[in-house]
Parts: sequence; structure tokens; C-alpha cells
Amino acid sequence: MNFWLTVFRQVGRNLRQTWPSQLMTLLTVSLSVLIFAFFYLVYTNMLNIGDKLGDDLRLIVYLEEQPGPEMQEQLRRKITNFDEVEEIHFISKEEAYDRFIKQLAQNKDVLDEMPRDFLPASIEVVPLKTLRGLSQIKLFSDYLAKLPGTIKVQYGQEWVERFYSFTRLLSIVVLLSGNLLILTTVFMVAYTIRLTIMGRQAELELLKLVGATNNYIRTPFLLEGLLQGMLGSTLGLLSLYLLFDWIKMQFSGPGLLSLFDFTFFPYTASLTIIGVSILLCTVGSYTSMQKFLRI
Amino acid sequence: MTMQHPESETVMIEMIKVSKSYPPDVSALSDISVTIDRGEMFFLIGMSGAGKTTLLKLLCSMETPSNGLIEVAGNPIHKLKGTTLARMRQRIGVAYQDFKLLTDRTAAENIAISMEVSYKKPQIIRKRVVDLLEQLDLSDKHNTITGELSRGEQQRVTLARAVANSPALILVDEPTGNLDATTTERVMKLLNKCNSAGATIVIATHDDSIYKDTTHRVMELRKGRIHTVSGGIRT
Ligand SMILES: Nc1ncnc2c1ncn2[C@@H]1O[C@H](COP(=O)(O)OP(=O)(O)O)[C@@H](O)[C@H]1O
Ligand SMILES: [Mg+2]
Repeated sequence: MNFWLTVFRQVGRNLRQTWPSQLMTLLTVSLSVLIFAFFYLVYTNMLNIGDKLGDDLRLIVYLEEQPGPEMQEQLRRKITNFDEVEEIHFISKEEAYDRFIKQLAQNKDVLDEMPRDFLPASIEVVPLKTLRGLSQIKLFSDYLAKLPGTIKVQYGQEWVERFYSFTRLLSIVVLLSGNLLILTTVFMVAYTIRLTIMGRQAELELLKLVGATNNYIRTPFLLEGLLQGMLGSTLGLLSLYLLFDWIKMQFSGPGLLSLFDFTFFPYTASLTIIGVSILLCTVGSYTSMQKFLRI
Repeated sequence: MTMQHPESETVMIEMIKVSKSYPPDVSALSDISVTIDRGEMFFLIGMSGAGKTTLLKLLCSMETPSNGLIEVAGNPIHKLKGTTLARMRQRIGVAYQDFKLLTDRTAAENIAISMEVSYKKPQIIRKRVVDLLEQLDLSDKHNTITGELSRGEQQRVTLARAVANSPALILVDEPTGNLDATTTERVMKLLNKCNSAGATIVIATHDDSIYKDTTHRVMELRKGRIHTVSGGIRT
């Protein structure tokens, strides 16, 4: 009780003495959180979109001839050799014909002249709906094209591929901005705390002389780092939320973007971001403090 | 303070063949051996530069000895670290020759520091501060920034901070340098009171008015060596 009272008094004193640099740190922390969270948010939404696109995405491998059961097994093995897949369907010539008839509906008489086996047999491969599975679709199709007995491989539009390479790029950006977040928060907080320490060198030296324990000296600074992390990240996330809301309003009319519904982070992700920021800031102030206490 | 040896019940300070030299080669103390009992009041005298301050600094581990053994309450103080050292220092009150006051804080805040670090209750701290300021004739300076006090007033605030936490050992460096006779008397009265309450007190001074009639032991240093030890009846 007395301990915390003293700690809070110290924190108040620190804030009063060095509020300009404290404010700078707070802004830096929130800006880094904002940048990171922004890219992360775009990334998660892209993943969502990718999920939807992926639902209809399949590779169709046309075969020279209809494979027997043994051959089917061989092909199945070859395919799963490359990567795990969601599903594999073998479509016989007859099934292909039936499907085509269904698609043509009233116009099915154009097929009257054709033999029932004029369409090639094929394999439908539904890739895994993970980013990795989807982003390797080009490689996968190249691989399938090289299987013995295939005529050609068909899959979704070009832009699907582009979409996935974009998401991959984005994941790198997320990673980089994550690192930026880590570096800036730790260094900025460590730096401000060091400023505070230098400004109060005389007092801290005296505290040691009159028998203050390391915890007594350290706790206010740790608390300060913790506050920086908590306020900074909350501020960053809050401004991102406002930005997000604003953008959503701008595009809420009819348009391409309204096809997908954009979502903000779930609670847990926000809390994780705040938690990690708190941790980083506390670590930052801890390292500064340790340097001082060791002297 | 842990009682590791039976003699630590009666002995507060044990120094055996202690010497201290500052870099590059200033020999501030050499071959000091002295034992100070618990509850003793001990005067350390000598001309300026004799090594009085250095000796006090060794006792509170502000400096480490170059050689020899120092024990305070049975603990080798120069070997203590971290929390153990902190706890030990909470039980040692020091009035520094250069005061070491926080000149941007009030007298009351400065005195409170030594009690805050051992987590005394705020009411108790407040009461003790008022009480000490009263005894040292500084009641009207309670809320004055210490930077604005006179040297003599700062000196008394320093002393008040040293004794505030009721430490077992009080080290006082030139407590009366800037004081007139009446105030000197007040200061000595406070120290005597602490001594009667059981505190061991070491006073470094060159002001003969405070030790000339004393019955306590007086040790004179000259050029870092013990010149004479006089007075007192050791048991
Ligand atoms: N930090 C220091 N560095 C170098 N020499 C010092 C230091 N402190 C004290 N001295 C020297 O040690 C000697 C004893 O000093 P001090 O203990 O302050 O004496 P006193 O307190 O009796 O006046 C002096 O010669 C002084 O110059
Ligand atoms: Mg001196």
C-alpha cells in the first residue's frame, strides 16, 4: 500500500518533469502501432477475400484418356506428392458430357451430332485454402501439366494469381512494420526513460545512498513504460479504427469494394497488440533502468 | 541486521587495518583499526584533509577500502550488494559534509526521503518531519525549497534526514560547520537524544566546542593515520 503510494507519486513527478519527451514517446508508440496495425488489418482482410475467392478455385487437369482405377490411384499419389490438397475428383468422359448437357440446358441439341465421349476425361483438384496452397497455384499447375498423359491444365483467372502474390507481398510488409514497431517502441521508451534518469541523476544517487532498493527505484520507471505502451497502443488502435470507419463510409455505396465486407480486428487481436506493446515498452524501460542500476 | 557473531550484539563498527587510497596515489587513510560499540557516541577529529570524511564514506559503503576489514553490525559492508546493501543503508543515517540535498524539493520532502525508502506510513512520516523541524528550529521552513535555505539551515535539514528513520548507526560529517552557538547546541541535543535512544553515533568534526568537555571517546586522525584516541571508558 505505502509502496504503491510512493510509486505513484514518483510516476507523477516524472511525468511532470519530462512531459514533452513523454508525449513524443507516446506519439511515436501510437504511430508505430498505427502503421503496423494498418498493414495487418489490410492483410487480414485480404486473407478473408482470398478465402472467398478460394472457395471457387480449382484446377482442372484434362487427360488424354480415361484413367482406370489403378491409374487413378497413381495420379492421386502423384498429385498429393506435390502438396496436400482439399479434394481430388476424377471426371469421366460421360460425366463431363452430362455436365455439359446440363450447362447447355435448352440448347443441348447442338450436341446431337457429337459422340458421347467427345469431351476429354479430367481431374478436378481443389487446392487447400491456405495462403500457401493458394499462392503456389502457378507452380502447382505447372507440376500437374507435366504429369504423363495430361493435355492441359486450367484454373481461375490471371488476377487470382496476382491477388495472391500481392497478399504475399503484404505479409512481408506486415512483418517489416512489425519489426519497426518493436524497434521504435523499445528504443524510444528506453531513450525517454534514460532522459528522465539523467535529469534526476542526483535524486536517484541519493535514493541509493539512503537505502532505496532497486525495486523502489525501478518500479516507477517500469510503470511509466507500461503506461506508455498501454496508452500509445490504445491510441494507435483507436485512430486506426476511426480511419477504418471513415474509409468504410466512403465506400459504402455500390462498387467493387462493397462486394466484400471489411471487418476490424476481433477483440483478441486488439488486446494482443496492446499487450505486446505494453510488454515492449516495459522491456525498453527495464533495459534503461538496468544500465543505470548497474553503475 | 543479522547477527552472525555474538560480538555483533555489542560491537557496531569493526575496522581492522583499513587503508584507502584514491587514484592515482592519494593515500587518504592508512592502517586504521578501531572498534566502536553499539550505543557509543564517537568523535572523529583532525584537520581538514586528515581523512575523516573518507572514513565515514567507508562505513556507509560509498567508497570501498583498498585494504583491510570493515564490519558494520557484523556485516562486511563493502562486500554487500543489491537489496542487502539497501536494507543495511536504511539502518545507517548519514549527514553528508556536502549535504546532498535535493535543492528543488522542500525541506519536508528532503527529510521524508529516508523514511519513504523503507515504506513508512505517510502519517508517521509527516509527524516525524514536523517533529524534527521543530527540534532543529526550522518549523517555518517546512515548505521552503532547500535551494533557498541558508547553509546553516541546509545543514540541519541534512541532519534531520539522517536521523529521521531512527537508524541504528548515525554518521555525521561536520554537523556544526555553519552554525552559531545556540543552534549548535540544538543539534547536539538532538544527537544526544538519538544516542540515548540507542543509536550509535560517529561525528566527524574539527569544531572543538562540541567535543572538548565530552566523556565520549575522541579519535584524532593526522594524515590518514590514527594519532590519538582519548577519553571514554570502554567495557
Ligand atoms: N574522491 C577523491 N579523490 C581523490 N582524493 C580524495 C578524494 N576524496 C578525498 N581525497 C583526498 O583524501 C584526503 C582525505 O580527505 P577527506 O577524507 O575528505 O578529509 P577530511 O574530511 O578530514 O577533510 C585528502 O587529501 C583529500 O584530498
Ligand atoms: Mg571532510
